[in-house]
Amino acid sequence: MSQPRRVTDSFPRRRRRGPGRPPGRLKDKGHRDKEHRDKEHKDKGQHDKEHKDKAAGKEKVRGSPPDPALLDMLRRFDLCWEYGPCSGITRLQRWERAQALGLSPPGPIRDALLEHGDHPDVTYRWVTPRPI
Amino acid sequence: MFSEQAPPTAQGLLGPPSAEPPTFPRVPVLGYSDCSGPFQLAERSFARQYAHVYSVRLAGMRPVLERRARGLWGKDVLVRKLSELQTGEKCCVVGTLFKAMQLQPSILQEISDEHNLVPQPPLPKYIQPSDELILEDELQRIKLEGAIDVQRLVTGTILAVYGSEQDDGRFVVEDHCLADLPPPLPWNGPSSDRFVLLASGLGLGSGSGEALLGTQLLVDVVTGQLGAEGEQSCAATISRVILAGNLLSQNTQGRDTINKARYLTKKTQAASVEAVKMLDEILLQLCTSVPVDVMPGEFDPANYTLPQQPLHRCMLPLSSTYATLHLVTNPYQADLDGVRFLGTSGQNVSDISKYSSMDDYLEILEWTLLAGHISPTAPDTLGCYPFYKSDPFIITECPQVYFCGNAPHFQSKLLQGAEGQRVLLVTVPEFSTTQTACLINLRDLTCQPITFSSFGAEDED
Repeated sequence: MSQPRRVTDSFPRRRRRGPGRPPGRLKDKGHRDKEHRDKEHKDKGQHDKEHKDKAAGKEKVRGSPPDPALLDMLRRFDLCWEYGPCSGITRLQRWERAQALGLSPPGPIRDALLEHGDHPDVTYRWVTPRPI
Repeated sequence: MFSEQAPPTAQGLLGPPSAEPPTFPRVPVLGYSDCSGPFQLAERSFARQYAHVYSVRLAGMRPVLERRARGLWGKDVLVRKLSELQTGEKCCVVGTLFKAMQLQPSILQEISDEHNLVPQPPLPKYIQPSDELILEDELQRIKLEGAIDVQRLVTGTILAVYGSEQDDGRFVVEDHCLADLPPPLPWNGPSSDRFVLLASGLGLGSGSGEALLGTQLLVDVVTGQLGAEGEQSCAATISRVILAGNLLSQNTQGRDTINKARYLTKKTQAASVEAVKMLDEILLQLCTSVPVDVMPGEFDPANYTLPQQPLHRCMLPLSSTYATLHLVTNPYQADLDGVRFLGTSGQNVSDISKYSSMDDYLEILEWTLLAGHISPTAPDTLGCYPFYKSDPFIITECPQVYFCGNAPHFQSKLLQGAEGQRVLLVTVPEFSTTQTACLINLRDLTCQPITFSSFGAEDED
């Protein structure tokens, strides 16, 4: 990868809460992606708060949040043994490698990867939530 | 050789020089195209693990091996994955070989405190009778026994085995096969005599000046400054010089600057600086006369992992101004005058010889060609870049000249394949010890050594 990888690539930056807000999950629909990310990475909340300060200039991802069903499909693509190991390369690179080797990976995956290309959950492989 | 080919009417040395000295134009380069693209690394990210290399190696070679298996053992032979094996059923499995060796240096064992082990000194061979062969495919692995030579094979080879699984989980092999020679290339070689000079292991900077005389003689022969007109006209048929690695000697690799205190080493210069200056001067003499391809080797200032990238042109300021100097990768693949050359500086062959019972460099070279892979032991015991898209060391087209540098002696063999492949296998000897280089005739793919011996102090005339 030409760009240096940041921690916030795997652990996305949480939205900074104002001083007056109580802690805990916000049930507001507008914060659905943050809530969704909370579900996936709730045990990394402590790490996020530390790295949030260190990751200067990393923009919070805007745009339509990806479907949980889509993320599930991508996770199943990662765990498919026919296309080789999934660690260390982006999902798009893995898809293109499988295509070049003639393994005919499913097309919708590539469309989904290109559509949500800026979202770190989509681009990189699924990260196992760290046990508490 | 040159003297035989020289026309008898040519002016000899035992007479006054002719009034008008004749000029011998060097044969023009008919065609040159560098096919080492896959070996050149653009982005270098070491964040990946090596599992990708093995995965693409198996995926890339599996179709070739399945085709060969069907050709050998019948079209209806069952090709199974290890997960689909049934006990007692005769089938064929394609996978990567892993040789579990007790003596293999393991970094984990060395740093393990509980074992209290002193690091093992480097041995010439790491094979033992207790080594085991294990076949791995994409998901599982199985131990191999039977009609398979455990000592000869090395880790990383892709092969197909035919046999059956036993009750205790081992696979008994009845027959096995490698990928065999790749498909041949059409022959576009020249119709008249043209020579390529292959030399390796110049070993500059070794501290002893004896090898320098041989090197200077080599340069003088190639540039036509040696011999009478007959020899000069024959030297004009040399169309290219390839230096296959180890231009610098191992003595330049001193680690004193790292181990000694800074105040002791502050004013000393690295030994390789002087050696590279010498190399530059030698290359300057060669480049003014003939195209030269310089490959890096084990002791040269290039990266350690294969594929080694070309030497940087800023190290050779005098000679890099000439367009005839080509700094190329190791391994190197190119079309020279219509003939496909493929070769390495010898690290792959010497690594295989350490982990296999094969000793003969020519035998190992032939074996790598039959296995369809330049260096199967990379990345296990030989450093390798973590590729992920494709393995560039897989030999997809059969070269017409396949060489390896830094061999202990000169050997050559013409291999004929079943599909019409003709490969000249050459092991280029180390020049610093043997003073021998190789001349390959591109017209008929023959090779002969040319030795520049100088009389030592102890020789009597």
